[in-house]
Amino acid sequence: MKLNVCHLYPDLLNLYGDRGNVMAFKQRCSWRGININLFEVNLGEQINFKEMDFLFLGGGSDREQNLIAADLTQRTRDLKEAIEDGLVVLAICGGYQLLGKYYRTLDGKIISGLELLDFYTEAGLKRFTGNIVIEVILEDNIIQVVGFENHAGRTFLGQIYPLGRVLSGYGNNGKDNKEGVRYKNVFCSYLHGPLLPKNPMLADYLIATALKRRGQSYKLDFLNDSLELAAQKSMLKRLLK
Amino acid sequence: MLALKICPEITGFLARQSRQGVILVSGTNGKTTTNNMLAQIMKKAGYRVVVNYEGANLITGVATALIKAADFKGKLEGDYAILEVDEAALPRIAQEVRPKMVIVTNFFRDQLDRYGEIDKTIAVLCGTLSKLPKTNLILNADDPLVAQFEKRTGLPVMYYGLGKHERVITASSGVKEAKFCPLCGTKLTYAYYHYGQIGNYYCTECGFARPQPWVEGFQVKIGHKTVDCLVSCPKGVVSLNLPVYGLYNLYNALAALTASLNLNLNLTAAISALQSYTPVIGRMERYNFQGKPVFLNLVKNPAGFNEGLAALLEMREKSDVYLAINDLDADGRDISWLWDVDFEKLADKKEYFNIFICTGTRGEEIALRLKYANLPVDKIKICANQKRAVKEVLSGIGKTAFLLTTYTALAPTEKFLMKIAQKERTYEAECVSSIS
Ligand SMILES: [Zn+2]
Repeated sequence: MKLNVCHLYPDLLNLYGDRGNVMAFKQRCSWRGININLFEVNLGEQINFKEMDFLFLGGGSDREQNLIAADLTQRTRDLKEAIEDGLVVLAICGGYQLLGKYYRTLDGKIISGLELLDFYTEAGLKRFTGNIVIEVILEDNIIQVVGFENHAGRTFLGQIYPLGRVLSGYGNNGKDNKEGVRYKNVFCSYLHGPLLPKNPMLADYLIATALKRRGQSYKLDFLNDSLELAAQKSMLKRLLK
Repeated sequence: MLALKICPEITGFLARQSRQGVILVSGTNGKTTTNNMLAQIMKKAGYRVVVNYEGANLITGVATALIKAADFKGKLEGDYAILEVDEAALPRIAQEVRPKMVIVTNFFRDQLDRYGEIDKTIAVLCGTLSKLPKTNLILNADDPLVAQFEKRTGLPVMYYGLGKHERVITASSGVKEAKFCPLCGTKLTYAYYHYGQIGNYYCTECGFARPQPWVEGFQVKIGHKTVDCLVSCPKGVVSLNLPVYGLYNLYNALAALTASLNLNLNLTAAISALQSYTPVIGRMERYNFQGKPVFLNLVKNPAGFNEGLAALLEMREKSDVYLAINDLDADGRDISWLWDVDFEKLADKKEYFNIFICTGTRGEEIALRLKYANLPVDKIKICANQKRAVKEVLSGIGKTAFLLTTYTALAPTEKFLMKIAQKERTYEAECVSSIS
């Protein structure tokens, strides 16, 4: 078994711990004997999204965000086709915002997004910062997912599903209890932390989905997740009491 | 801090009494070591110096150091005040004390201000300094965030830096901060990196580039517990053999050396003072537990943590490791940055490590991080009780014990350590006792 993993702009987006998501995906595959080909794609470098099985896009500061937006805009059509074809995507924070229609800054300036998904984001005065727990439905399982959010943007969804429901924290906009976005095999979230290492069920769901798409056996071997669950539980205990 | 409340100007009043002037050391990492190295050079040259305690680099800490050093009439006995100052506190302190010299080491994003705050801090700093025309700057030429100070302040500058050596990195890896030209925003091109964004950079758009250092280290050899190099400066080429670990300490030494040359001190004497610098590892404190060396180090950001790990690897001895990670306000509530630390480097040298004891409010998280860095799970242990965790790491079978903690976990760790191990005289202690 073999999966192609694409980490977009690891060079630019390496300050928010989000690379831990790629580590988790990769490690949980390799512990099960699933080979990973890692493609680290930086500004201007070629990549064929259709050949990828998992794509990760993190977020950065404004300056980095603008550079990425400019680069990704040229790849929008390819990315759209791959997404419609079932590519598994995880986009966090700034990467999440970028896939939507636009981001409106505090002074009213509109920065257009890739317009791949039906949502928009508006800057708010107060940053939403803190630990967060959401509830996510993965087929037959309802799981609790923990992370850390830190965003000034308020995201509002159109005709599209959220990733989950906020149990503690702010989520997309601090109002409607929704967190993230889910479309086909695209998972968007504000959760840093990073997300996948201490939410192993979500990580495994992404792996299984990627395997299934390629017609491979997606029944994953059992892993001992005691450290993962200890990290998760310590946060659940603190926030849900 | 009563005096500070009664007389908010006291810092400036006291500091300005030092006969020759005030030297401020700022930047993210290396402040303490640079400060102490410079103090050592000055003291060996016969000057009386006043320094502040390690970490006491906020306004109140600086004031405390000065008040303690003053006699009962409020008169300060000293030739120089050499003070390490937090980047954020520097504008106010600089305005009050009107420093003769400001040394800037480097800028790395802290976990507390990873969201663009550093650019604001630098802008405020440059604004303040530009209004102090009598101040000289000593700048790290290899850090673009630091080198931009010359253009932004218009002050006289002396640069220090490190030339290419065998261990430089050509492909980008690890922690990187200023990937963009701080003057025009274009992506910077690097001939090589030393670590993080520190290296030989240039901007293809506006021509901003690493300035030629006035004092430059080259032919660097990183040995077991030592760093050797040649140093070229206007007074000639000399060899420097430092009894400390790692490149970052070489940078600290070059900063201190450049400052002393700027003050017209003797080159040979300065080199010999640096070579006799008491070997503390970075900001590490050293203890002794039944004959076993024990090191305690504060970690607050990926770059600093990577330095701590580099020191740990340089030991090349079987070690027991204690990691205490808290997520209180003073530590930064977001601990995602642990995933930007290169723990993978430890996995390459698994045989050096006996056990990793993980503790603190986020002990589980650091344990998980180690697992994903490929360290064997049977060497990772979570111990919620910090006191027991300290005991356990000291009684490990390794030849040394290493304790790395975030800010709020430091004091309790120190307290438990003091009870069962002896603190060794470190350079910091020497420095402080000679204040008055
Ligand atoms: Zn430029």
